[in-house]
Amino acid sequence: MREFLPRPAIAPAVVWAFPAPRRTQLSNDIPVMIFDLPGQHVISAHLVLDLPLNAEPRDTEGVATICARTLDEGTLRHNGEEFAEQLETEGAGFGIDLSLSGTQIVLDVPASHLDRALALFAEAVAEPSLADRDVNRHVQLRLAEIEQAQANPAQAASIAFRAAIFEQGKRAARMNGGEPQTVSNVTPEAVGAFHSDHFGPAGATLILAGDFADDPVAAAERSLGSWRNDDQRKVMIEEPAPAPRRTVLIDRPGAVQADVRFGSFGIDRLDPRWAAISIASYAMGGAFLSRLNAVLREERGYTYGVRMNFGPLRTGGSFAVQGSFRTEVVVDALAITRDLIKVDSAPFSSQEVNDAVAFFTGVSPLRYATADGVADQAATQVLAGLPDDYVDRSLALLRSVTPEAATEAYQSVVHPDELTLVVVGDAERLAEPIQALGFTDLEVRSPADLSESS
Amino acid sequence: MWGMTAGALTTLGYPIVEHTLDNGLRVISSPDHIAPSVAVNIWYDVGSRDEEQGRTGFAHLFEHVMFQGSAHVASGQHIALLQAAGAVVNATTWFDRTNYFETLPTGGLDLALWLEADRMATLLDALTQENLDNQREVVKEEKRQRYDNVPYGDVMELLNTLTFPPDHPYGHTTIGSMEDLDAATLEDVHDFFRRHYVPNNAVLSIVGDVEPEDAFERAEIYFGHLAAGAKPPKPDGGPLGPLADMPRTEASDKVPADAVYFSWRLPARGGRDFDALDLAFSILGHGQTSRLHKQLIRSTEHAEGTGASTMGLIGGNSFGFSYARARDGVSPEQLEQETVDVIDQLLNEGSSEEELRRAKAQFERHWLHELARVDSRADALGEYATLHGDPQLINSRIAEITAIDNGDLQSAMQQWLRPDQRATLIYRQEAE
Repeated sequence: MREFLPRPAIAPAVVWAFPAPRRTQLSNDIPVMIFDLPGQHVISAHLVLDLPLNAEPRDTEGVATICARTLDEGTLRHNGEEFAEQLETEGAGFGIDLSLSGTQIVLDVPASHLDRALALFAEAVAEPSLADRDVNRHVQLRLAEIEQAQANPAQAASIAFRAAIFEQGKRAARMNGGEPQTVSNVTPEAVGAFHSDHFGPAGATLILAGDFADDPVAAAERSLGSWRNDDQRKVMIEEPAPAPRRTVLIDRPGAVQADVRFGSFGIDRLDPRWAAISIASYAMGGAFLSRLNAVLREERGYTYGVRMNFGPLRTGGSFAVQGSFRTEVVVDALAITRDLIKVDSAPFSSQEVNDAVAFFTGVSPLRYATADGVADQAATQVLAGLPDDYVDRSLALLRSVTPEAATEAYQSVVHPDELTLVVVGDAERLAEPIQALGFTDLEVRSPADLSESS
Repeated sequence: MWGMTAGALTTLGYPIVEHTLDNGLRVISSPDHIAPSVAVNIWYDVGSRDEEQGRTGFAHLFEHVMFQGSAHVASGQHIALLQAAGAVVNATTWFDRTNYFETLPTGGLDLALWLEADRMATLLDALTQENLDNQREVVKEEKRQRYDNVPYGDVMELLNTLTFPPDHPYGHTTIGSMEDLDAATLEDVHDFFRRHYVPNNAVLSIVGDVEPEDAFERAEIYFGHLAAGAKPPKPDGGPLGPLADMPRTEASDKVPADAVYFSWRLPARGGRDFDALDLAFSILGHGQTSRLHKQLIRSTEHAEGTGASTMGLIGGNSFGFSYARARDGVSPEQLEQETVDVIDQLLNEGSSEEELRRAKAQFERHWLHELARVDSRADALGEYATLHGDPQLINSRIAEITAIDNGDLQSAMQQWLRPDQRATLIYRQEAE
């Protein structure tokens, strides 16, 4: 065999930019953003509503989710099952996405069926039946879904973590789909009232992406242009706030692994440190050979994977180291993690920063090459109040981050001794050794009360 | 890119060019210059069906070892170098395949090919006991995280066992058992590599911002000097006929709800019967207009979740299954009977034209979505070249599905979905 070739160099990347939308508006003033993407034959349509979850009354939280899930269970024009049957006959997929920042209703459909599918989509949004029986069933299904989530250790850890890091009383501390106590209170009347109070054209944006067979604006105007709601209420978004640090162990007797969340309140995309913290978190827990994964997976074999994630909200946010570790090693993994996340004597290097910039720059063209990838990002930007060229601007900002800036931003947000720890695992085997690590404030709770305050 | 016939979309026109190197490596190119990215994807024709007795889970463990370095690449550097070139990188193992893939800016194409070639050629030069032991632990953590520590995590294993004999290639799961993972040795890695990881047992797909001649030239530069091996024989699993004797088993654990699962042996993928059954399972259990959803969730309100689907496999038979999770106060026996009634009604009365049209429309959207991205298109090309011998099939899948009628569904269901041809798993909530 001949000698092996040397490792090839990487040719410089060509200049790439996030697609620019055409902007127009419907006759009821709904702004429309259109992304023409040749070759993308499945159209992605997002109707973005400026409807944050804190619009829900405190005692019926979950009502937004039940309302959204009942939209496609029948409309005034197409009763019950007939509606979904018509939508599926068009080859369409209908989805919803509810977050603290706002509400999205999503349609995916082959381009040749867009006109008809958009008309059905508009029916679901503007004139759903929201029938008693369908609402009551979705309440029961949501309660069953919560039981499934509580039984899943990764989901249980995330539920307990948000309850611990956000100030009690803030919507962000509780599940997006509502907690059992409040979901049980959701009635057909409450769902009907929520829809008529909050679903309307004011504050809505329509995003359409794909390779259009015909003019999508005309189709959008026919389906949504005459939508009115004179009773629509404007809701101001609630700003979340941090809670004092805690240590919570959710008991799962006999569990062979423990799921860990170790983090705190974070920052949002408009924070001047966002670019620097993105680089830092990639180096700490985003890359395959990040500081955390290189040691805990590749060196020790303690986990299938460990990450550090930053989750931005419209204002503020959260961050956490997260992973699952076999019960025998989780305490050691926590001790190692606590050391690794300190950067005072190990600041981020220029190599780490360069690799992070190259990664974020390189994956963008692929991530935004499809209709749903572009529409998702555009919707995120609308809900976070970001400009149309946000992706390009943020890549430029990433390229200007220095190792010093990454380290400084990280140190200003991540305070290793003040983090909240949530562990979902076998309390009998883990409670004492975790306390012995210095987490002396450890509270043991059952999976059934993940979200209740102490 | 479209072909239109009588107003309906039938044939897609993605350009697909194939070239085989002298050592037998099949290279497939599909140029697409919409973004400055390229997807590199290698399908090796080896999966858990090729595992030896006592070595379940080995094909997947081996996949992990492939990231532990080769003669010119240090451990972990395969992914690290690619990520620093802006790549998304991963690999998967399943019954019929092991695929390795990265998608990255076009300027990194040479690096990606060089890295894939280095491990195809020289993996064993870098293999150490320490690396094997480390990845064995990582894989065991994966098994705990995805199967052992989650509710209903052992369902797949239980259904496999019910549906295929224990020594059948599909009689065990891809994740395998802890005991067999513990038993794997360095010698097993050597043998497996020499037997399966030869250029003539692989398909390399290069999709995106590169022209076919260019792609083939680069493939020749990096892979052309590798020696061919003996093409490994495929395990003989059948084909087996439908299940008989209605096998049945029960499990209980701390799960939130009782559940009822059925499974069926189906014909291998790649024929009209399998495609007809795939549509029948879609009508039965995919989406909110499916029969199971309408009856058990909407009408009787006895289930909190339902579903049915096929899992297409190439070695003689495929797999089909359904599930229903009980609402509070509904016994699994009652749910079982109601599920049986829904299935038998579909079998006896057939599906409506409307239902079939919906199932086809959903398939079409799913398939267009799949081909819309260069990375999933590259994977589909590797899949159809490896399992069916022809990557061009991705352009005619919609036409094949469109051509199926209710008569096809009826005859396939009568052959494979009769009442005595299913296996049953009852999953009970363990008393606290």
